Amino acid sequence: MAKGRHWVALWLVAFLVTTWLVYARQTAAYRAARDLADLRARRANLDGHRADLERRIRVAESRAVLVPRAQARLGLHLPSDSEIVLVPAPSGSR
Amino acid sequence: MQVVEFGVLVGLALLVGRAAQVQILHGRRWAEEAQAQRTERIVLQARRGTLSDRHGTPLAVTQETYHVGIAPNELRDPTADGALISRRLGLTARTWQQALRRRYAYFAGPYSALEVQPLRSVRGVHLEAVLNRFYPDPAVARATIGRLGDDGLGASGLERTLDSLLAGRAGAAVVLKDRAGREYESPARVIAPPVPGLDVVLTLDAELQEIAQRALDDALRRMDADGGDVVMLDPGTGEVLALASRQRDGSARPSAFTDTFEPGSLAKIFAAAALLSLRRVSSTDRVSGEGGKWRVLGRTITDDDPQPSLTLADAIRVSSNIAIAKFAARLTPEEQYVTLRDFGFGAFTGIEFPAEATGRLRPPSEWTRPSAASLAMGYELSVTPIQVAMAYGALANEGLLLQPTLIREVRSAGGPGVRYRHRPEPVRRVVSREVAAALRNLLRGVVERGTGTEAALTNFPVAAKTGTARRVVNGRYAAGEYTASFAALFPADQPQLVLVVKIDNPHKGSYFAAQTAAPVTRSMLEQALAARTVALDRARLSTAAPRAAATPADDDGGMVPYVVPWPYQPDSAGVGPRRAVPDVAGFGMREAVRTLHRRGFRVALRGWGVAEHTWPAAGDSAAAGSMVTLFADPYAAARVRSRGPAPARCGPRR
Repeated sequence: MAKGRHWVALWLVAFLVTTWLVYARQTAAYRAARDLADLRARRANLDGHRADLERRIRVAESRAVLVPRAQARLGLHLPSDSEIVLVPAPSGSR
Repeated sequence: MQVVEFGVLVGLALLVGRAAQVQILHGRRWAEEAQAQRTERIVLQARRGTLSDRHGTPLAVTQETYHVGIAPNELRDPTADGALISRRLGLTARTWQQALRRRYAYFAGPYSALEVQPLRSVRGVHLEAVLNRFYPDPAVARATIGRLGDDGLGASGLERTLDSLLAGRAGAAVVLKDRAGREYESPARVIAPPVPGLDVVLTLDAELQEIAQRALDDALRRMDADGGDVVMLDPGTGEVLALASRQRDGSARPSAFTDTFEPGSLAKIFAAAALLSLRRVSSTDRVSGEGGKWRVLGRTITDDDPQPSLTLADAIRVSSNIAIAKFAARLTPEEQYVTLRDFGFGAFTGIEFPAEATGRLRPPSEWTRPSAASLAMGYELSVTPIQVAMAYGALANEGLLLQPTLIREVRSAGGPGVRYRHRPEPVRRVVSREVAAALRNLLRGVVERGTGTEAALTNFPVAAKTGTARRVVNGRYAAGEYTASFAALFPADQPQLVLVVKIDNPHKGSYFAAQTAAPVTRSMLEQALAARTVALDRARLSTAAPRAAATPADDDGGMVPYVVPWPYQPDSAGVGPRRAVPDVAGFGMREAVRTLHRRGFRVALRGWGVAEHTWPAAGDSAAAGSMVTLFADPYAAARVRSRGPAPARCGPRR
């Protein structure tokens, strides 16, 4: 009779351990999935941020913005070709 | 008692029978139904490939954006949450109140990741990620690039032509649902991963494009014109560098491909090409200028700048209608027709654009008696600006007509693997090298002493031709309406750039191309010379400027010279022996630059972090001393590791 109870207890412990393992694994997977989703969201946010910054840089670098400002603030003008000097490459240089 | 036992037995038997029916006979159907209730198959969108200019500047990219759903009953603090949501989504107070009255409010947006970021932690806000097309600078080459339709497929422009390359292939995944049909927050089981579309590097140069667009807009505003087009291309490769089109209403349909016009005097050079190729004229042959008015075959031909007598060079230089008509009479209709046909008129150029007009070039059997003279003067012929650019490109390219292209490279998504690279594609030889050189000389005379002096640069020789033609409205020539056009080769020797400028019906000031389109060309050339990254080979320009030496340095009126950084060179410039570009993907920036320097290349940096890829790509050859653009990305190392070896390069598409 006592031997039978031991067996029942053993099976019960085995069942509990297995259940706990399944539960722990599922929880870890669920947490990892959440972390992954958070990271994806963060990456999307950073990508969006980068795209926005790149767009603003391009607008700021564009001739439509730069040329009038250079003319107004610095008194520069678009050079005519006679003001452009192309320096010939020294022979044998890279 | 026996009756009860019998009843229980029958009941059990029925139960077992039903169980067998459900489990064995109908088991598969029930299993499928349960599966369908618990799971849902979803489509994983493929990222559409990026379109970028020849230097890697993105022109069309795909980004994750969001639709936003609001469940009002799930909001913890409807007042505070409502204020935040309204602010981020740009909702009015009334719209928000209406949303609160609904069970589930849906805002399609799409909203950017930046806009929805603060909403991620708000309970009751549900974000649905969707990939969306985004144009970093919507004004740049919009008509050429095109747009997507509501179905996400290319609807116009290059987005349409290249749809099969850019679209990629959607994937599929299965997600778990609860009893109410809501998705569990568990990872989806991917059945087929999405395959991203290929990235396409266009031949366009974003800076030249901006120069062309701004110059055209300024010109149209100043001249109060109905519209206009600018085409710039590299005559050595057929690559289109800039395409600008604008109409009076501000719209920008791709009229450089689709709208035809009579080229007028632009076409005189093609009559000259036939005359020189067939040796029907010598450099000393002269014809009478007829005092500027000549009546022939029942019509009167006039010249704006009457000359007593003219050679062929004079006829081109002062754009004499009378002289070119007289010279063209030495050609048979077939010879004249074949020459124009050979230059590509009346046929598609073959450029990768969904819509293109062929223009009109009637065969000799349909000509009338004055047709030969009309065609020599550029009438009875309709052409598109891109056809004119390619025909002038043939003169620049030693007589070889090339097929124009807008596509420079096709690459694997986000990687260096080059699937296709454009190589110059000859269509036919139109004239011999010697004749092409002679024709360029004629065009040079136009800018130095003829109708194109307004386009002349001080230090660089330009070859060009003006064209002013009457406009056809409703099938008749309209009084006082003209198309002013200008085609230029820059520089005149070994041209690197072909420019075609067309101004439709200028109202203010002169309508002559010499005073309208020619100064626009000069302005664009000056800006291109002063620009930092424009695809001009300044090494060749610096030695091909004989007039620069003749200009006294102290004749500049005290102005400080603008010194252009030495120099940008396209990889086509053959200044040294060709060498293989080393693979530096994954290297630190310093190490990558050193490696490229050791191999004899100069390096232009794009981005920061870890070297990702180069242009020209690793394994390709480039001339020693030429510029290699190194693209870096802080996340490149991880991508390079995960990607493994680069895929093998495929040959050209055609």
